[in-house]
Amino acid sequence: MKKASARSIIFKAAALLILIVIAVVMFIIGRGHTVYIDNKTLDYEGETYKAFNRVNVYVNGERIGKLASRERGKSTNIGQSFTMTIEVTREKGNDPETYENLEFKLPYNWDGIVINVPGYLNNLPQEAWMTEFVSQTTEAPAEEEVNTDELDEFALGDF
Amino acid sequence: MNSKPSVGKKVLSFLGDNLVPIMFIIICAICIPVSGFSASYLINEIVTRMGRNIFLILCLLIPIMSGMGLNFGMTLGAMAGEIALILVSDWQIWGIPGVVLAMIVSIPIALLLGFFCGKLLNMSKGREMITSYIISFFFNGLYQLLVLYMMGPIIPIKHSSIKLPRGYGIRNTVSLLNMRHCLDDALAVTVGGVKIPMLTFILIGLLCLFTVWFRKTKLGQDMRAVGQDMDVARDAGIDVEKTRIISIVMSTVLAGFGMIIYLQNMGNIATYSSHSQIGMFCIAALLVGGASVDKASIGNVFLGVILFHTMFIVAPSAGAKITGDSMIGEYFRVFVSYAIITVALVMYETKKRKMKSRLGLQLQADQAAEEAAAAGKAGVQE
Amino acid sequence: MNDNTLQPKTFGERLREGIASFGLPRLIIAAFLLLLFIAAPFVGANFLTQISNVLNRFSWNAVLVLAMVPMIHSGCGLNFGLPLGIISGLLGGTISIELGFTGPMSFVMAIVIATPFAVVLGAAYGWLLNKIKGGEMMIATYVGFSSVSFMCMMWLLLPYHSPTMVWGFAGKGLRTTISLEGFYDKVLANFLTINIGNLSIPTGTLLFFAILAFAMWAFLHTKTGTAMTAVGSNPTFAKAAGVNVDKMRLLSVILSTWLAAIGILVYEQGFGFIQLYMAPFYMALPAVSAILIGGASVNKASIANVIIGTFLFQGIVTMTPTVMNSMIHMDMSEVIRVIASQGMILYALTRKTEGGKR
Repeated sequence: MKKASARSIIFKAAALLILIVIAVVMFIIGRGHTVYIDNKTLDYEGETYKAFNRVNVYVNGERIGKLASRERGKSTNIGQSFTMTIEVTREKGNDPETYENLEFKLPYNWDGIVINVPGYLNNLPQEAWMTEFVSQTTEAPAEEEVNTDELDEFALGDF
Repeated sequence: MNSKPSVGKKVLSFLGDNLVPIMFIIICAICIPVSGFSASYLINEIVTRMGRNIFLILCLLIPIMSGMGLNFGMTLGAMAGEIALILVSDWQIWGIPGVVLAMIVSIPIALLLGFFCGKLLNMSKGREMITSYIISFFFNGLYQLLVLYMMGPIIPIKHSSIKLPRGYGIRNTVSLLNMRHCLDDALAVTVGGVKIPMLTFILIGLLCLFTVWFRKTKLGQDMRAVGQDMDVARDAGIDVEKTRIISIVMSTVLAGFGMIIYLQNMGNIATYSSHSQIGMFCIAALLVGGASVDKASIGNVFLGVILFHTMFIVAPSAGAKITGDSMIGEYFRVFVSYAIITVALVMYETKKRKMKSRLGLQLQADQAAEEAAAAGKAGVQE
Repeated sequence: MNDNTLQPKTFGERLREGIASFGLPRLIIAAFLLLLFIAAPFVGANFLTQISNVLNRFSWNAVLVLAMVPMIHSGCGLNFGLPLGIISGLLGGTISIELGFTGPMSFVMAIVIATPFAVVLGAAYGWLLNKIKGGEMMIATYVGFSSVSFMCMMWLLLPYHSPTMVWGFAGKGLRTTISLEGFYDKVLANFLTINIGNLSIPTGTLLFFAILAFAMWAFLHTKTGTAMTAVGSNPTFAKAAGVNVDKMRLLSVILSTWLAAIGILVYEQGFGFIQLYMAPFYMALPAVSAILIGGASVNKASIANVIIGTFLFQGIVTMTPTVMNSMIHMDMSEVIRVIASQGMILYALTRKTEGGKR
């Protein structure tokens, strides 16, 4: 019994370690972000970078936004690196320019991330075109009635 | 001793043993045409529900094996799964990694809860079921204490989409939009318009294999011995109490996983009610599949899910068509769930009593025979 | 250690013994209630109003708790199947109104009509419980659940027509809550009510309970009653003494079911409404935990247990919201109620049963 218990402690410790490692990996690769892609005029250090006429945004080969100027597109992304392809029409009538597989490193702690396309394409520093998304809608905190009564949601729901 | 019972008797005993599934097949056979659902809709729904529920129901098998009856305490595992999912969705871990992380986080919680449950059940041998039933209520109170008052001030919750506006406690529903169907859609195969969530089924298959394998291990054998007769098992050197606790702990941990699979399919957590009825429905489904309080197989689980959920899907619509009131069908399926558990419990208890009295008679007969033999011997010697 | 040993016990020993016999959870609950009463005036709650509230709730619920007694005595355990009796009571109440009775008469008729239902259902239930001795509590729970969900369908389907009870637009199917105004709302409570300032005592209801409780006490001391207790405490001995065990158990179940039927009617007259459908679903649990808090165990209960238990339980139910709310601005009363009551049942179930039944 004694021998077995020493072995089983090692075994348990190893299992625990593996689980922790997996958990850490999941923390890293599973962090989800909402990425907002802005086609908006950006003011940075006195300069103005004008919004483009039209920007088409593709993520994983799927078009997630067809942005006219001052518009915003939205994509969800799992992990800290985000890749998109954009098709930019600078002025009306111009031919679209394509920027393939642009890669972005997303900060871990930001839930929502705004990427400003004009700022990015003008090679501004990152803090200029990548900002944290803060929800604008400050809805009045309507109090929610908590329902812990077993009877009300009694089984009549779906299962 | 007549070794060959007549065909009639055989049929009768088969009917008796499978009374519940047969009743259900009849109910379904009546309700399906009345409900007017198309076959493809029905099959789709049933496949979805199989993926959603089978894992949860499989966790009931181990306590049955160790003679602890239907584990109403599986609710505890479900709570562990929910707590883990709430945390993971606050940490914003999405998709399959989120599910995996939730499962890992749920393990320590489920271990703890399962351990308590096992301890309490050891203190109430002979009435495990009612005790585990009350345990689920008691821990529901503790769960509410944790989720409603401690999440926020003590356990940090960052996102206002999860937290109640008052600053502490969790909202009535927590959205799992970013995790929704992530297991079901991975490797999904569509056959003739029916979406089959392969990954979920692979997980279920693995658990089935594990269960089959586990029965053959030393621990599994011990559990079966404990389930057969605790005193005999104790005499054979098995630590009965520990074995029973392990069996409940395993069930609780698996229930936690099952709940996470269930909720990733549902797409949101009803924070205060998702777990409360889950035990009842899982047990009802298992019993519908022909299991009893002391005997259940993987086959029972699959058959049970199919029959029970067919009834569940068609009853409201069939009830509405027959009586003109949509609520009738809703109440009907609830009634059937409870009635099925009642019938199964009654059948189990009567069987147990019959066995006991038969055993008593046999013992008496044996004793009489022994005495007679002894007397005969004594007579010869004299 | 025996009481007649000469060695005097130390205070600590006595205390420990006292706690052991009283049960730690019970002590905690009693202390908690005491604390609530002490704290109440400090948080601005009127003491007399609080007392009236507790007395009121006590009077509504006491009969339901009393219904636990016969089955515990006969060894059938805690009556988790209480909803079956409650359904008989609901049938009695609704049929009495349907037949056009009003005022106090409707209450009398409700009891009269409920009785045959309670006897028939109770007999069937008792017969079932005799078939499955040893597994009563679990099956009782599910008999209760099945009957409640079955009646959910029946409330919709039965041919009720009284406009005060059915849904207005459909003209059929009973409502979920039915007001008793004009029927038996407060018929007992308003009888001989004593009002002193903020204190109001529902004498009529308390008196009604006292009569039933006394009748129960008297019954338990008749020959049949003692036989029933014998069946509960030692079935083998009772059988040997020529008592018909099954008959005694059946009788106790019928009695319990009937008391539950009366109990719900008393509850309704105090509350002012009939609640149908899923309402009776979990009604067994408060009653079970109340009698356990009062000092009963799975196979032992007295009238005193009923009174103490109901008072403690209802005291906590009524006092916690007011006191807690004003003290910490959190309404934790619901959670506390759940933990306290379920914890009490759990405690009782995990005790070893005396008498070596198992």
